[in-house]
Amino acid sequence: MTAAALWREPLVQAAVWSLATILLYVVAKRVHRRWPRWWLMPLAVAPALLMIAALALNVSYRDYIRGTHWLVALLGPATVAFAVPIYEQRALIRRRWPLLLAGMVAGSLTAVATSWALAYVLGIDGELRLSLLPRSMSTPFAMEVSGEIGGSPDLTAIFVVLTGIIGAAVGDVVLARLPLRSTLAKGALFGVGAHGAGTARAHQIGREEGAIAGLVMVLVGLMNVALAPLIIQLMK
Amino acid sequence: MMHRNIFTPLQRLLRRNRLVQTGLLGLFWTAGEILAQASGLPLPGGIVGMALALALFLCGGLKVGSVKRGANWMLAEMLLFFVPAVLALLDHRELFGLLGLKIFAIIAVSTTAVMCVTALTVDLCYRWTERDDGRSVVA
Repeated sequence: MTAAALWREPLVQAAVWSLATILLYVVAKRVHRRWPRWWLMPLAVAPALLMIAALALNVSYRDYIRGTHWLVALLGPATVAFAVPIYEQRALIRRRWPLLLAGMVAGSLTAVATSWALAYVLGIDGELRLSLLPRSMSTPFAMEVSGEIGGSPDLTAIFVVLTGIIGAAVGDVVLARLPLRSTLAKGALFGVGAHGAGTARAHQIGREEGAIAGLVMVLVGLMNVALAPLIIQLMK
Repeated sequence: MMHRNIFTPLQRLLRRNRLVQTGLLGLFWTAGEILAQASGLPLPGGIVGMALALALFLCGGLKVGSVKRGANWMLAEMLLFFVPAVLALLDHRELFGLLGLKIFAIIAVSTTAVMCVTALTVDLCYRWTERDDGRSVVA
């Protein structure tokens, strides 16, 4: 078998791209730990480098994701993992759930209202605007809602990830500027604003913040899936 | 008790090895997927699996220690699982350009607003209830 034929083999492609993805992520993480700038975030640097590599080697998204989809699928077990911090913080959550609910409702309304208004002002309409509305939620929820309200789940998935990248960066700035007293507010900010990526960031800040962000992320998703039909009625 | 001796090394493995624990989380996820499909609920399998795990922790059927290392590992490396999804941008070249800049601006401004509103709502409610709690303690 020639080297070119070997390169075209799906299993080889899968192994190469999976390894490249993991390796670039690990390197990007090390670099970010050494120089903690927001634009050096692993979630921004690793995909950018991979994209350059894919373009240079003329590899399509379909070819890339066929071999690396198992990494995305690990988000499933990762979601299950949130049971641990949520269980450990159960006393705090039981005592403070009304506060979290208030933050979730206010945050979700702000997300939909500001996305809609800004898109309107910038002249973005139709499917693209609808696809922007559910982007604060974690991917599976967001795609569900997007399909229901007439957006494109595919585009929404991209916006969700972009929200995660931007949100994890913006979250640090907001955290530094606002005079917040409770860890509850710090966790909720990441959970409502930037779903899984924000929750991962919150987890790095503190265990309590991470647990609250994880819980809030899940609850916001559930709340919005339940409320989506109502939002459609309001938009008509 | 013969079977006890057989199971002790297994239990020790479960308590120490994060890969085995991650596998256990995967089992919960699989069970969640199956349940979600069977019930027809519009819920992701991961969420159903998480609910299952929480229920087992609460009723004492499973010790948190049996999955804690695996869970912490998954949570710490979770950003990796988002990386391949970003490459979907390759299929949407129309987003490289003015439209992409507009969308970037919308996401940045909207996310900042969401975070400020959420955090301020929770924190103001927190200060408010803290004050009430303090008063009730005095009374």
